[in-house]
Amino acid sequence: MFYRLSGVHHADYVSDSRIYKVPADRNLAVFILVIGLAAPFIIPSLYLNSYILPWLIWSAAALGLNLVTGWAGQLHLGYAAVMAVGAYSAIHAARFGVPWEFALIIGGLASSVIGSLFAFAALRVKGLYLALTTLAMQFVMDWVLTHSPAITGGSHASLQSPTLALLGQPITSDAGYYYVAFGWCLMVTIFMLNLKRSALGRALVAVREKDYAAAILGVNSFYYKILAFATSSFIAGVSGALLVAAFFFLAAPEQFSVAVSIQVLAMVIVGGLGSIIGTYFGVALILLVPGIVNGIFATTSANLGLQVDVETLAHMPNAVYGALIVIILLIEPLGLGKLYGNIRDYLMIWPFDQFRK
Amino acid sequence: MSIQGNTTRAHQGDQPILECLGVERRFGGIVAVTGVDLAIHQGEIFGLVGPNGSGKTTLTNAITGFYPPNKGSVRLAGQDITGTAPHKVARLGIARTFQNLALFNGMSVLDNVLLGRHIHMHPGVLRTAFYWWAARPEEIENRKVVEEVIEFLQLESIRHELVDGLPIGLKKRVELARALVAEPTMLILDEPMAGMNQEEKGYMSRFILDARAERGVSVLLIEHHMDVIIGICDRMLALNYGEMIASGIPREVVKDPRVIEAYIGGSHG
Repeated sequence: MFYRLSGVHHADYVSDSRIYKVPADRNLAVFILVIGLAAPFIIPSLYLNSYILPWLIWSAAALGLNLVTGWAGQLHLGYAAVMAVGAYSAIHAARFGVPWEFALIIGGLASSVIGSLFAFAALRVKGLYLALTTLAMQFVMDWVLTHSPAITGGSHASLQSPTLALLGQPITSDAGYYYVAFGWCLMVTIFMLNLKRSALGRALVAVREKDYAAAILGVNSFYYKILAFATSSFIAGVSGALLVAAFFFLAAPEQFSVAVSIQVLAMVIVGGLGSIIGTYFGVALILLVPGIVNGIFATTSANLGLQVDVETLAHMPNAVYGALIVIILLIEPLGLGKLYGNIRDYLMIWPFDQFRK
Repeated sequence: MSIQGNTTRAHQGDQPILECLGVERRFGGIVAVTGVDLAIHQGEIFGLVGPNGSGKTTLTNAITGFYPPNKGSVRLAGQDITGTAPHKVARLGIARTFQNLALFNGMSVLDNVLLGRHIHMHPGVLRTAFYWWAARPEEIENRKVVEEVIEFLQLESIRHELVDGLPIGLKKRVELARALVAEPTMLILDEPMAGMNQEEKGYMSRFILDARAERGVSVLLIEHHMDVIIGICDRMLALNYGEMIASGIPREVVKDPRVIEAYIGGSHG
């Protein structure tokens, strides 16, 4: 009913290779795009810049991690470290006087180089061993950042980000920051949507699923793993730089600590490995739900006049949030993206589903 | 089985497509394959038989580069490919299927078969980013080739289905399609008819004969079904404990006492 398939016929390969093959899906995407463009006019700027903007930037970053973990199947526990490389390189470039457009690209490329150099060494091992090696990268990067005043300004210092400016226009308004984040997130999303239907995406999935079968088809596993690391690191670098330039406004080592790496991985896993829309949901859950649960607890305990002590109040939301992740993964191990997919597939034929099977 | 290969196309004087010379592969102290010589000519369907553990799959792994031979050499159309990595072997024109199926279960039939075109495509990050201009023409071009093979193997109705849920007979056919779209000169089929009933075996045999007739591939066929080997193979080779025990025309080889002994067991003194 909602996603009616009747009358949808693809008569040529171009139409069959569209991103959205069902018109209802495309209409929904266009609707969300319009809302996204109109957001500064309909959402109060407090919400826009403290919730929506970080959600968009983290979604872009998490999509990058999903590329390497969900598509190429390589567990990565040092993603925040790669983001840090991009953030610091871009800020230093901008402080040096490089225009921000190029500074962002420099940040992305620096991440890409460091990320793939590291992958070059790390990819000699597989699976859990690779995960541990990437974790080591995180710790090395943490150490480098806290011990090199030339990069970070010292262990407890933070580095001020110069005012963001794109195409010669300084960006200072809330709406401006929002559109920068929106634009970047859109670019990454379109890239991922294209990846899903292109030869590169298929090759990455082949490497993830059965590397010996990929090899006999002519897919050089090592090359594609490195390519996945390089691309995902580029996305990480630019996302990290934008996070600093448009959200935090200063860079500090603890913004890119090991806890952050694990959080991004959690976003990807809860959202669903290899799922684009799921990544958005996963980021929302990990990033926004703790605050919401916190708010609900505070208001209900106040309204009911409960004498909850401060410590309980601080820990309960965390417990609820943890339980929520466990429950979601128990219901659908493939994450929120698969959950959405199930609902979509159900609506595709509703209310005629009784005719099936 | 009444299917008979059109004509024997082995031209003895020609350069063989695939040639193994004294191939030996050991795993520690175990000699899996030793002293195997074989030559497959253009357009030939060559059977490889032997009891379990006789080294058939090891031999194909030695040819395709998964386990490079310890001794001897492998030549493809005169070019030495001994020990070449599998992803390079694919580019030289060898395609193969696996005994236990090596399809990508999370992907659709179409995507699986499209992956077979990998060596003819140029995947890249920028091409993906600028899909509409840089990747789409190539995707469409290759989709056409894939659709031809899908039609040839009668997979149209399951094109968009996930491979995971298909019955084994269809999975084997999808794997054959994926190998064929690469346009190989040499096709290695590792037990393509394992677990099939008589009717499915008949279908698969016809597909293999048609693939040779229409696409000119040469085939190395590993099978346990002797009726299939006799029905469609031009020549064959029997292995036992990693050694060649008989080779030649199938009808004669299967009568060889050493082959019968290897398969059924004989009366040693």
